[in-house]
Amino acid sequence: MSNAPIDKLKEWSKQGHRNVLGDSLVMLAAERPEMCTVTADLTPTARLTGFRDTYPDRFFDVGIAEQNMIDFTAGLAVEGVLPYAVGLAAIVPMRPAEQMRVTLGYMNLNAKVVCIEAGVRFGPLGNTHYAMDDIAVVRAIPNFTVISPSDPLQIYKTIFAIADHDGPVYVRLTGGPGFPVMYPEDFDFQIGKAIEYKEGSDVAFISTGSMLGAAVEAANTLEGKGISTRVVDMHTIKPIDTDMLDKVFAENKLVVTVEEHTPIGGLGAAVAEYKTGFENTPKQVMASLGDKFQKLGDYAFLLKENGLTAAGLANLAEANF
Amino acid sequence: MGNNNTVEFIQEKCAVMRRDVIEMGYIAGGRGAHFGPALSSIEIMASLFFNIMNHDPKNPTMPDRDRFVQSKGHACLSYYSALIESGYIAKDQKSTFKQDESILSGHPSRNIEHGIEISSGSLGNGFAVACGMAKAAKIKKENHKVYCLVGDGECNEGIIWEAAMNGAKNKLDNLVAIVDRNGVQLAGKTSDIMDVDLVALWKAAGWEVLVLEDGNDLPSILEALEKMKNSKSGKPHAIIANTTKGKGISFMEGSINWHARVMNKEQYEQAILELESN
Repeated sequence: MSNAPIDKLKEWSKQGHRNVLGDSLVMLAAERPEMCTVTADLTPTARLTGFRDTYPDRFFDVGIAEQNMIDFTAGLAVEGVLPYAVGLAAIVPMRPAEQMRVTLGYMNLNAKVVCIEAGVRFGPLGNTHYAMDDIAVVRAIPNFTVISPSDPLQIYKTIFAIADHDGPVYVRLTGGPGFPVMYPEDFDFQIGKAIEYKEGSDVAFISTGSMLGAAVEAANTLEGKGISTRVVDMHTIKPIDTDMLDKVFAENKLVVTVEEHTPIGGLGAAVAEYKTGFENTPKQVMASLGDKFQKLGDYAFLLKENGLTAAGLANLAEANF
Repeated sequence: MGNNNTVEFIQEKCAVMRRDVIEMGYIAGGRGAHFGPALSSIEIMASLFFNIMNHDPKNPTMPDRDRFVQSKGHACLSYYSALIESGYIAKDQKSTFKQDESILSGHPSRNIEHGIEISSGSLGNGFAVACGMAKAAKIKKENHKVYCLVGDGECNEGIIWEAAMNGAKNKLDNLVAIVDRNGVQLAGKTSDIMDVDLVALWKAAGWEVLVLEDGNDLPSILEALEKMKNSKSGKPHAIIANTTKGKGISFMEGSINWHARVMNKEQYEQAILELESN
């Protein structure tokens, strides 16, 4: 992998995950000649213009046809090309779910599906453009790895790491322009290995995606009230890091899972599924988007409405501790 | 191609393959089998595997092999019979069709060692993946062809047209789709369920289209495949082959009832008798 582009983090944080993706793909392509990008008429939105102009022979736009994007990607992967399919999280894992199951999953193909704007960041565009169930859909497909990076540098590292991971991977990108830099320095990123962002023995926040910032802020609030709080960055949701979960279950008194997703089938569900096999584990509560379609509102409104803010998380933890 | 010796040789293969289809379908017992769509495509499959395609059953991963994708995966018996008779799959595997832990599932499951390039059977997807495979050959500057068997009922699927348009856009002249137009799909005649002008649709999607009046006639098929294989049109190629569902077994020919069903002993014996008397 290239040296971590620390000098870009401030700019990437300001721009949001789309730019991190677009820039990272160009950087990856320079190192991996077999890699290509496939999209379904999303070039400017997903910040793929630079990739298209730099590597026109390795850039394929299938038109507005997400199902075909996945199957075309599968065909490329069958023949040893390393394709990254880029789509909208609200559309891609759900509309071509069957393609992802029978081609990428069933044949265990070395193909990557990276989706932008997961969760409710699309605010005013409404519920058709919210991705609240994508983790659930992909997590149910055998062979798939599911990753939700937490900050700009982790997105960059994910894009590179999945190139070296043999098999289908789904990456959901969350957080809009202004999402916080959680890793200002280079750090060790391994697929399937959660990061203990902060130690603590009472409450444990287990967050995924750009919720990490709010979780850390909430943890600091709780610490101010004498509640020792651990924060785990569970960037890989499948396979989930059971070693980290074992540690949390053994050492913490309350588990709060934090995700921009329905409580059905996402990170919270994955933690609960593992936890159900053990006796004497701590109580778990899920901070999520709930099992509902959302009111119309901008991103900040929707996060607040669902308690996915530092204050909301601190209150939820305190009420259940 | 298509001289008398060639045709005679493939004709003999077709006869053996039809018998394989009936035997394997009968072995499936109560699990049933898709007889009709397998039998309609025998001549197409035999032409590909015993004449048109560059491949080597002793070297199934040969990089420059032509690829075959059976997108209408429910017709797997014609595929398996071609793989058995060309040597990818041992003859004694026939008895395992649809049995526990067999490699011969009711729809093809990727198994390159045995000549199965991709998993298929979820209609439309095999063809769309084949387009990606053809594009990969272009990217890698490889000269092999990709052949794909598509069903006429399968052309109801939207992804067929998403992929067809993209295939034309990418000038996949290394891809030949053969539409097995047997006129019958699961619940009835294709003309009753979705009556469309397939020739016009494939042309509108940007493909070079050739219509075969009799897709069970070997010289015609060989000629069509040769023509498409050597075409300089720069477009992907579609052969719309008008075939007979259940071809070769009198009580199955053109029958809606034999798209997929369980075969009893009397039917099996009659089918074998008909094949032997031909």
